[in-house]
Amino acid sequence: MVIEILGEALKLMVLAGLTIAGILVILIWKKGLATRVTYLRFVIQAAALATFFYIFTYPIWLLIMLIVILAMSIVFGRFFCGWLCPFGLYMDLITVARKALKIRHRDLPDRLNKFLHNLRYVLLLVFLLLPAVLLLMDPLPSVQLGIVLAEVLGGPFKPMNILLGPIIPLIVPWAGPLVIGDVNFSYPYVQDIIGYTNGIYATIFPLIFVVLTVVGSFAIRRVWCRFCPTGASLAVVNRFKGFKWAPALHLEKDEEKCTKCGICKRVCSVQVTDVYEQKGGKIDTSMCMLCLRCVEMCPYEGCLKLKIGGKTIFKSRNWLKPSDSD
Amino acid sequence: MISQQKKYMIEISQKEIEELRNSVKATSRKVMAENIARMKKTSKNRPKAMEYFDEVADLFGKREKEIQAAKESGKKVIGYMCLFAPTEMILAADAIPVRVNSGWYDTSKLGDRVVPVEVCPVIRSTIGAKMIGLSPYLELSDALISVLTCDGMTKLGEILSDYKPVWAMPIPRVKDLPQSLRFWREGLLTVKGQIEALTGNKITRKKLKSAIEKTQKATKAFRRLQELRKGNPVIMGRDAMLVNQTYMWDDITRWTEKTEALCDELEEKVRRKEWSCSLDAPRVMVTGTPMIWPDNWKLPTLVEEGTPQGVLVADELCSSERLLYDPVGVDEWTMDDMLNAIGERYLMASTCPCFTSKDGNADRINWMLNKIKEWNVQGVIYYVVRGCMSYAMEYTRIKKVLDGINIPVYYLDTEYTREDVGQMKTRVEAFLEMLTARIDI
Repeated sequence: MVIEILGEALKLMVLAGLTIAGILVILIWKKGLATRVTYLRFVIQAAALATFFYIFTYPIWLLIMLIVILAMSIVFGRFFCGWLCPFGLYMDLITVARKALKIRHRDLPDRLNKFLHNLRYVLLLVFLLLPAVLLLMDPLPSVQLGIVLAEVLGGPFKPMNILLGPIIPLIVPWAGPLVIGDVNFSYPYVQDIIGYTNGIYATIFPLIFVVLTVVGSFAIRRVWCRFCPTGASLAVVNRFKGFKWAPALHLEKDEEKCTKCGICKRVCSVQVTDVYEQKGGKIDTSMCMLCLRCVEMCPYEGCLKLKIGGKTIFKSRNWLKPSDSD
Repeated sequence: MISQQKKYMIEISQKEIEELRNSVKATSRKVMAENIARMKKTSKNRPKAMEYFDEVADLFGKREKEIQAAKESGKKVIGYMCLFAPTEMILAADAIPVRVNSGWYDTSKLGDRVVPVEVCPVIRSTIGAKMIGLSPYLELSDALISVLTCDGMTKLGEILSDYKPVWAMPIPRVKDLPQSLRFWREGLLTVKGQIEALTGNKITRKKLKSAIEKTQKATKAFRRLQELRKGNPVIMGRDAMLVNQTYMWDDITRWTEKTEALCDELEEKVRRKEWSCSLDAPRVMVTGTPMIWPDNWKLPTLVEEGTPQGVLVADELCSSERLLYDPVGVDEWTMDDMLNAIGERYLMASTCPCFTSKDGNADRINWMLNKIKEWNVQGVIYYVVRGCMSYAMEYTRIKKVLDGINIPVYYLDTEYTREDVGQMKTRVEAFLEMLTARIDI
């Protein structure tokens, strides 16, 4: 009884939080503070976290979410990753903590980064094909193999879950096993593994993953995003030649205004080099999460632009202008 | 050994040095006064805030005494020859940065005694200035940062090391190789150590941060001034160039304040529609070899005092607009990222022709195209002094590009001398005449 009341109270609080976040977004936008993209992004990420949290407190057909997110990705590309993904917020907050401690971050070598980037598609393919393979192999050659598969790959019988992977443990805190207080610390994809295993694994696996993520994203910005299959599934339209037009929300670069100063390359949290290297025009790399840090930091007015369709909605400015105002 | 025997410099008697210095100084004083008087005369509605810059422009005036006083109180002065030297680090170590390239015509003749006449006159003039101890900032500096950009600069550092400690900073000639930035960063760290050793002050994170913020503010003021030149001419190009150039030796905080004040006044003038010259004056951009105050002011003077009168609205000179246009963009205020930001700001954003890459020096072309469009430039004067190889050799490519967008470009070669002013006048005026005719059509 007490728990139910607490649950309802929690929901109301989330709703209130959502409303406040919404108002904040509008205020920030109106006051022209939208130039401070990083702050705006945090607000939207928090609002998105609250929204997911709220939605998932009701039983929901995952396929609907899947369709919504996939449909969104056709128009917005990986906007989801940069601005909405709660797991991204989690890593960004760790980055904030690191910045506060004045500790430098590490960069992955570009080649490794590119390799991980391509590995995402392999991971995605494996997860998507696995149900079919298992169906063909039915019954499994041995029970042992089944257990190993289940342990290693998580929810092979719920392939669509993969696409929502990073969000679930964060937005449905009570659904997984590693619960301390009322908060679940289990890791993306791990939650399903836990479903198939029990005992000591249930504690050790999530613990290892949590430690790895915290340490990893402390040292390397947005470490998970570099090989996240969810990101790959969202960006998959960017990969095909015929579909390059599809992400209506994209970055564009003006070659003549660029002095190749390299700031965009340095500030990018997933080390995208294309913005720097590309001669100009539409930037359609699927590595870019559209977090807009480069647009915010680019010191040449109008050199980088965020466009939706043909319309510019945000562009780099003489960023020295507002630096005094706060 | 080194201190006793000079590697390059010739021996001149103290008496001769004195005589030469006094005579060149007297001429230089006259030239500075004359230049400023002419600038005042040409510009209609000259902003009052320019008075400060007229005063600071006096190389043997107030600023020299200030630096002298600062030195006596224990501060160090660090000179630099190319704009690649990390000013922020010098400021962070509580030293005074000054750029020491020389613009004196007379001393270039003296430089001929050390290096052949084929060498770029900027170099020869700086050598000459050192020979007779003319340049107050070169004399006052405790050490020099010599960035090995063009051939002249490379050897200039070597020659000046006869007098002072010179810290050479080798620069990668191809900017966008993966190893270039690493190499340059190592060089920066070395110089950081040298600055710390000389000044005895450690460059801490906090100090470096406040130094970066200081130069960012300066860049902000600087850009504001250049932005104002986009519209109808509210300030003459020469005045703006003088403002830009005084940054090389002035106190940076004060310079920033004064430039902001100047911009405020100019904005007021824009509102009142008080232009500094006729709106029909062709809008000209200069590119090429650096033009250094006080003597090497002949081209801007000829353009802005010519008949028909032109107005300089933009330039691509490392002594003027390129000096401070690019900011240090820091992502995270850690020592590491600040060093990266400083490194990138100086190396990557530069359009110096000493660089090449697989597209050649495409950055410079893009800079020019952008300037031409945004500043509404109608003609480009490609100014090269004899012996300035890198700029001279890039002309053909620039001309091809500018021909493509139908912008006339004129190659003007000259020397550090007053003798060719007459024939230059004819050439410049013919070009301006042509530009005016194009506008009429």
